[in-house]
Amino acid sequence: MSFWEYVGTRHAQLLTDTYQHASAVFQCMVLATLLGVFIAVMTYRSEWAGNLATTSTATILTIPSLALIGLLIPIVGLGVPPTVIALTLYGLLPVVRNAIVGLRGVDPDLVDAANGIGMSRAARLFRVELPLAWPPILTGIRVATQMLMGIAAIAAFASGPGLGNEIFRGIASLGSANSLNQVLSGTLGIAVLALLFDAAYVLIGRLTISRGIRA
Amino acid sequence: MSPRDGSDPHEPARRHPSDHEALAFRDDVEMAEREQAAGEAPVASPPSGARRISWQKWTFMPAFLVLALLATWLWFRGARLDSIAHQAVDNGKVWLALRQHIQLTAISTFFVLIIAIPLGIALTRSRLRRATPVAMAFANLGQAVPALGLLILLVIWLGIGAHSAIVGMVIYAVLPVLANTIAGLRGIDPTLTEAARGIGMSPTGVLTKVELPLAVPLILAGVRTALVLNVGTATLATFGGGGGLGDLISAGIVTQRMPVLILGSVLTVALALLVEWLASLAELLLRPRGLEVGE
Repeated sequence: MSFWEYVGTRHAQLLTDTYQHASAVFQCMVLATLLGVFIAVMTYRSEWAGNLATTSTATILTIPSLALIGLLIPIVGLGVPPTVIALTLYGLLPVVRNAIVGLRGVDPDLVDAANGIGMSRAARLFRVELPLAWPPILTGIRVATQMLMGIAAIAAFASGPGLGNEIFRGIASLGSANSLNQVLSGTLGIAVLALLFDAAYVLIGRLTISRGIRA
Repeated sequence: MSPRDGSDPHEPARRHPSDHEALAFRDDVEMAEREQAAGEAPVASPPSGARRISWQKWTFMPAFLVLALLATWLWFRGARLDSIAHQAVDNGKVWLALRQHIQLTAISTFFVLIIAIPLGIALTRSRLRRATPVAMAFANLGQAVPALGLLILLVIWLGIGAHSAIVGMVIYAVLPVLANTIAGLRGIDPTLTEAARGIGMSPTGVLTKVELPLAVPLILAGVRTALVLNVGTATLATFGGGGGLGDLISAGIVTQRMPVLILGSVLTVALALLVEWLASLAELLLRPRGLEVGE
């Protein structure tokens, strides 16, 4: 069976896997972004807290994904829970690091001006600092998403959802006629998803980066 | 390099990447290739004021690892293993897996270095400079392919075994070193290379005596990234019959034997953290002295 015939006959299964893959990555990324920006907002003012946040998230990222999933399985079991926890943890670092750098890079004069016109702390954060720090945060989200695409494939080994299952089906039937098609469809599907997400982020950047700081 | 390298607050004096980065930030193409360099990488940013960092930082990680390994070992001794679990760990299989893992990492990192650094140098020479965006776009596109899929496709193509895993790991880890080499060489203040040419240095002299030493910190950061990436990718070698600590993890998951799974995972995590620690130590020791004058 040629590759296209394979895709034609299995398109229902492939579409489900693709949708689940995209949805898992997207949801975990939303979670990681909220958590990451929150951590950054809490820590960026203090030198040591910010560094601690960066160092600890960097340490998580050093851990190979298969090993982290392996350590999560005895605690939370197989399936969706280890996948979601692992993906969210790995998505944190780029967001936290870039958000801290972005927030610290905001021109102190602007913060001063915001104080001067009587903005509250929250208003200053949401209307001045975060919009100015948004471009690096968005870059962090892009980097993290691309990484999560690959990690989600590995999570399928712990019965997680997504296109990784297609790859592992191919591994299980290594040597059979369809194994190449299975691995190829899973791999290409993830690559295409990664590129689509990347394109979406470029678009989001165009729409959400404050007009004042656009080049 | 990504913003995080650029505006690291406690490296006021390390001039070259930072200024350049801040500007490159707005540029879409540049940004895309830069964020890849450091972003994809687990830990690309060089610890900046690192040389001033106290001994606590350097002893914390090994002490933590020794304690964690000791605790795991004691627990594993006491854990009840049935025959299936015994089969996975007896007869020195744990040491074999550990040794295979280290071999996979070392061999693939070696090939990454001898491919990526010369390629990075070649792509920054004036003759090939125009090919750089094409090469980087290609490399970034390749980065969208998941490591697991790439590895298994290579296994189908080249056959089961460690060699397919090594090829996959090399392909996957070339990008961070390549991107950092290019960024490091490009970030050099052009007046310095001009001065070197002005005093009559040959192009080779400029490269080896001026450009490369100045690019060393970024190149080393890329190497560290590649090493850590390789330790991680080596766990996937098990799916193509390449051995390594992934053998223990996958055996633990497939047979539902938690002690085996935990032992494999803890050893992998410890190895990754140890490699990272060693690499950051090496990064510090190998950094040219001349670059510190300003700090």
